[in-house]
Amino acid sequence: MNEVAEAGIPRSSRALWQSIKDFVAARTISTTGIILFLLLATFLLWPLIAVLIKSIAGSEGFTLQHYQNFLTKPYYYQSLINTLILGVLTTSVCIGVGFIISYITIRGPRFLRKPLKMLALLPLIAPPYIFALSLIILLGRNGIITKALNLNLSIYGFSGCVIAQTLAFLPLAYLMIENSLSTLNPNLEDSAANLGASQGKILRSIIIPLVTPGILKAALIVFVMAISEFGNVAILCGRTPFLAPDIYTIVTGIEMDFSMGSVLSMFLILPCAVIFVIQNYLIKGKGYTTILGKPVAAEPRRINPAILIPFLLVSIFAGGLVLLTFGIVGMGTLTNIVGVDNTFTLNHLLDWRSNMAMMNSLRISLLSGFFGAIIGVLLAYVIVRGNFRGRTALEGIAIAGFTLPGTVLGIGYIFAFNKPPLLLTGTMMILVINCAFRFLAVGMEAGINKLHQLSIEVEEASLNLGASAATTFRRIVLPIVFPAFMYGFMYVFMTSMVSLSAVIFLVSPGQNLASVFIFQWANYGYIGLASATTYKLIAIVGASLAIIQALSRWTGLRPTAGGGGA
Amino acid sequence: MKKILISLLLVLLFVGAAFTTGQKEAAAAKEKLAPFITIYEGAGSVEIAGKVAKLIKEKLGVEIRFTSESHGVIHSRIKAEAPNFTGDMALNIGFPLMVEAKEKGWSVSYDSPSWRGAGDVWVDKDGFWWNQGNWAFVLVGNKDLLAKKGYTLPESWDELLDAKWKDQVVMPSALTSGTAFMMVYSFVTLYGLNTGKGEEAGWQYLEALNKNVAQYTRGGNVPTDLVGRGEFMLGISSDEMVMPRIRGGYPLLYKVPKEGIGFGSAGVIILKGTKKLYTCQKVTDFIGSTEFCKFWSELAGYVTKDPSVKPALYGGIPRYIPNINQAWAVANKGRLLEEWKKRIGRAPK
Amino acid sequence: MNEESRPMLVLREIYKTFGSVKALKGVSSEVGKGELVTFLGPSGCGKTTLLRCIGGLAKPDAGDVILDGEIINDLPPDKRGTQMCFQNYALFPHMTVAENIGYGPQVHKWKKKRIRERVEELLHLVLLEGMGDRPIDKLSGGQQQRVALARALALEPKILLLDEPLSNLDANLRVLMRASLREIQKRVNITTIFVTHDQFEAMSISDRLVVMHDGIVEQIGTPGEIYEKPSSEFVASFIGYVNILNGVVRNLGSETEPAVISTELGDLQVLRSEDDIEVNQRVFLIIRPETIQVRPYGEATGINEFKSTVITSMYGGSTIKYTVDIQGKNIVIDQFDPSNVGIFGIGEKVTVGIPQNVHILKK
Repeated sequence: MNEVAEAGIPRSSRALWQSIKDFVAARTISTTGIILFLLLATFLLWPLIAVLIKSIAGSEGFTLQHYQNFLTKPYYYQSLINTLILGVLTTSVCIGVGFIISYITIRGPRFLRKPLKMLALLPLIAPPYIFALSLIILLGRNGIITKALNLNLSIYGFSGCVIAQTLAFLPLAYLMIENSLSTLNPNLEDSAANLGASQGKILRSIIIPLVTPGILKAALIVFVMAISEFGNVAILCGRTPFLAPDIYTIVTGIEMDFSMGSVLSMFLILPCAVIFVIQNYLIKGKGYTTILGKPVAAEPRRINPAILIPFLLVSIFAGGLVLLTFGIVGMGTLTNIVGVDNTFTLNHLLDWRSNMAMMNSLRISLLSGFFGAIIGVLLAYVIVRGNFRGRTALEGIAIAGFTLPGTVLGIGYIFAFNKPPLLLTGTMMILVINCAFRFLAVGMEAGINKLHQLSIEVEEASLNLGASAATTFRRIVLPIVFPAFMYGFMYVFMTSMVSLSAVIFLVSPGQNLASVFIFQWANYGYIGLASATTYKLIAIVGASLAIIQALSRWTGLRPTAGGGGA
Repeated sequence: MKKILISLLLVLLFVGAAFTTGQKEAAAAKEKLAPFITIYEGAGSVEIAGKVAKLIKEKLGVEIRFTSESHGVIHSRIKAEAPNFTGDMALNIGFPLMVEAKEKGWSVSYDSPSWRGAGDVWVDKDGFWWNQGNWAFVLVGNKDLLAKKGYTLPESWDELLDAKWKDQVVMPSALTSGTAFMMVYSFVTLYGLNTGKGEEAGWQYLEALNKNVAQYTRGGNVPTDLVGRGEFMLGISSDEMVMPRIRGGYPLLYKVPKEGIGFGSAGVIILKGTKKLYTCQKVTDFIGSTEFCKFWSELAGYVTKDPSVKPALYGGIPRYIPNINQAWAVANKGRLLEEWKKRIGRAPK
Repeated sequence: MNEESRPMLVLREIYKTFGSVKALKGVSSEVGKGELVTFLGPSGCGKTTLLRCIGGLAKPDAGDVILDGEIINDLPPDKRGTQMCFQNYALFPHMTVAENIGYGPQVHKWKKKRIRERVEELLHLVLLEGMGDRPIDKLSGGQQQRVALARALALEPKILLLDEPLSNLDANLRVLMRASLREIQKRVNITTIFVTHDQFEAMSISDRLVVMHDGIVEQIGTPGEIYEKPSSEFVASFIGYVNILNGVVRNLGSETEPAVISTELGDLQVLRSEDDIEVNQRVFLIIRPETIQVRPYGEATGINEFKSTVITSMYGGSTIKYTVDIQGKNIVIDQFDPSNVGIFGIGEKVTVGIPQNVHILKK
């Protein structure tokens, strides 16, 4: 500090300076909270509002003309109905099968648990539309199975979309249900069995009611994903209209009708919002406090064959389909023209045109993983430790961002950030921000779980010992929430690498992303190249995750969800 | 604590690396070729765009970073980005965009030596666009599927209306594809304007055809691939990928039906605001060279400005539907597309 | 054997291994009708595993579980007539108190009316009348414990298995619940096995104790027997003895003359009672803290008197607990009514008198 100034400052103003410093120190958490709120408002709420505004803005002020167009043209409401049916069908099957696989991997035969779990989670590292590719190769009109069995079927339409979306989002359903099933105290089942309940009765009266909150949570996420991640749907829908791919066509195609795109987006949000509200209401009434004590590791009980056999069949069938998909896409990778000219070739694999897009994806995913995780953990800290009002709102906005259809946030970003002062369209930053903010809720939830385990007294002790709030955060809190940070990082990274629905609206020439690139290849009919590039993407995501895992093992800091799960 | 520091450091390194390898565009010197330019490719075919990029890299040493989408999509994109374009120029874009860019002042003019004297069809008289070549749409069929049913490839567009082709025909969607727009104005010309019955007759043909169409695809070349892979028996497709696919071993048949085929121009514009004008001009010059014309017509069957180059697909100038007027089509584009949307694209199935 | 004298439960040579860990190494025991028997031992001694073997949640590798004259090894938990109460209660959190208690009867398809009556009866028994409609998470720990008990009793099992049922309660509540548990058990006259690692809890509640260690039974007996005559050093130290001396018998003495045993403290005169020992035998001497005398420092002239220094002194109201150093060995003393001799401070020299009647344990 300047010596003259120091000497020149009168005592009172130095005291004022000190009191400002004290104030800031005392309000660190609230200040951070406000900054975070502004960030969330800018990058999650504002785009959403921008979509809403666009949908009701006419050439001269407010209008409901666009909504009227939507509701009076059979094409559009047919599209809405189709979308809802797709969502409901996909969600029901995902939840049912997800529950069955969870049950088997938690209570089933030991030797099956791990492989089945791996299989069920495998699709997470692949772009969801890998299932559209495999369906075409297998069941297209010239597909392997179609030809072998001489079938006359068409996967272009409803059935194909439902199958592909179901397989694509099964891992998500599984992950969330497994998370809630695994925290279930096995003694509850022991008790019920001891009282004479059959396994069917235990499933019905104990297990299912208790994992219902987890199931509802999973249902919401799967529903949103099924109707908004449109990779599979765009490739397989044929002439059946669905909202999400139509938004893509309307916004990027010749029509370029942003107003209609916004109206479609609003109708895409509507069912999600309804479920969000219902789910919160339902869970509120049924929040079970954690059951006391630590569960004793239960010896695997013999599962009644009447339950075990159908459950096993479903699990193995689903696992088999995943395996088949990866195998068949591998075959698509290594054959000249799959189904036409099945000779072996490395040409698709040795095609390096996607390199630039891969690098971009990697770069953007690393950055968004990093920012998403940091902001997520900071949010967690502010939410758990702050005592200002609106903390729950903060958490709610972040979670809403996670549950919003990606398609909507994609076009919302176009409207919200295409003019100064927030001119971001066309930059790489917009992609990073979009991915980071969409998925930061995962790191946040993990962080909240971790922080709940750390009692406030530990931090107070550190403060009592004379450490500043910043030091306390760095020395005490950070090491404890670091695993949550890693978990958030991994999730954001992985999802940013493979997800499509939002970024496809935001990529610009020279900054293409791998997931978009592959989708375009697939959508323009290059199955071999799309398959090969998908495999490369899977390899990169897999290798990155392995490196991160190894790194955390080496440093002794394992990423953990802390029971959060998403 | 040390461990955390180490891992944080590693993460920071990661991020640092990500930043530094980012887009650092070297300010291009005026008379020097830039190391790379960013372009929009209207081919809707990553493959064609990639081959063009490869050739330019070989000949000029300029790396082409491209976004490839259908004509329609690229058109929307440029319209949306105007006047701050992320790309330096656009290649192989549809005639409507070439015209609109000139009108709206999105493109810059240049008197390219290799295009001088090519004629009004090929180069804008004020030098705002250059027609890389005319492309067309053809009828394609899957050899194996047709043989299995004992069918042959139809000789005329009329035959496509036969109920036996139900759900067996694919063509591009006019909501995304410039090729599809070309089909719309071509059929309206063939069945409407040329017969003297007015546009309506053209629409009636398209509506009748709609009954047999299984899918409207995003890109004009997609039908070639879908039919080639045996997903569908017949397709009305852009001619660009037909030759490459046949060479690649797809069991494809193609035909110019007796009524003729429609065509459209696809060309080059340099976008206003580019910092690499010199490089763009050199690329434009190269595209006007005989070498490129030869490459272009061999690769994708284009009819180029160079009469000495015979497109491999047709062995000469193909039989076109008479009286196709691109200027009329462009002037009526909005109306035609709205009509298509109403009658076909957004009509309940 | 007639019905009345037959034990309710017989355990015959039970073995159980988890991987490489031998949890039970041939455990045998008997439990009489209406008796409350506690399996006592440190964690990992196999007591919970044994309980689970009885309840059918674990299957013994070898040996028989005989309940009411019937070998039940291969029966599933619900067909055995046993009912287990878990440490964490395992109450169904989504059901009310009454639904929890009525779960068993409901599963067994009892008539609605009968279920209601049974639930009322049990609520009365566990002093939760009128609380049937409460959700589980609105109950205190002690109330949850009683719901768990009522639920287990609903089907009138032959034997009740309680796995550390009081360990989740705080200290005061624990003592109260202990008494109430015992009372309910007596009232219903149900044969009960109680598992705990808390020796005071075990002593105060049980008819008999089975002290377990490392997969084997160390000693079986009434609380008095176990306390007065621990059969091994392990039992002695586990039930709370701190003063255990190593000794060698020097002189057997006689009916009237005490034996002489040399220990770390020096030679001690010990009344033999019925202990069967020989000269030169190595033994443990177990000295209860409350039997040791302490007085102001003076000539150590009496029998078994030693000079020592106070190391710690803890005032506990009616008792004062000292640790003193005798010849480098720490001895713990509980002195009642310290007003007689005064309170000694740390570092003060005192004279300590070891009683002649100590428990001798052969090595």
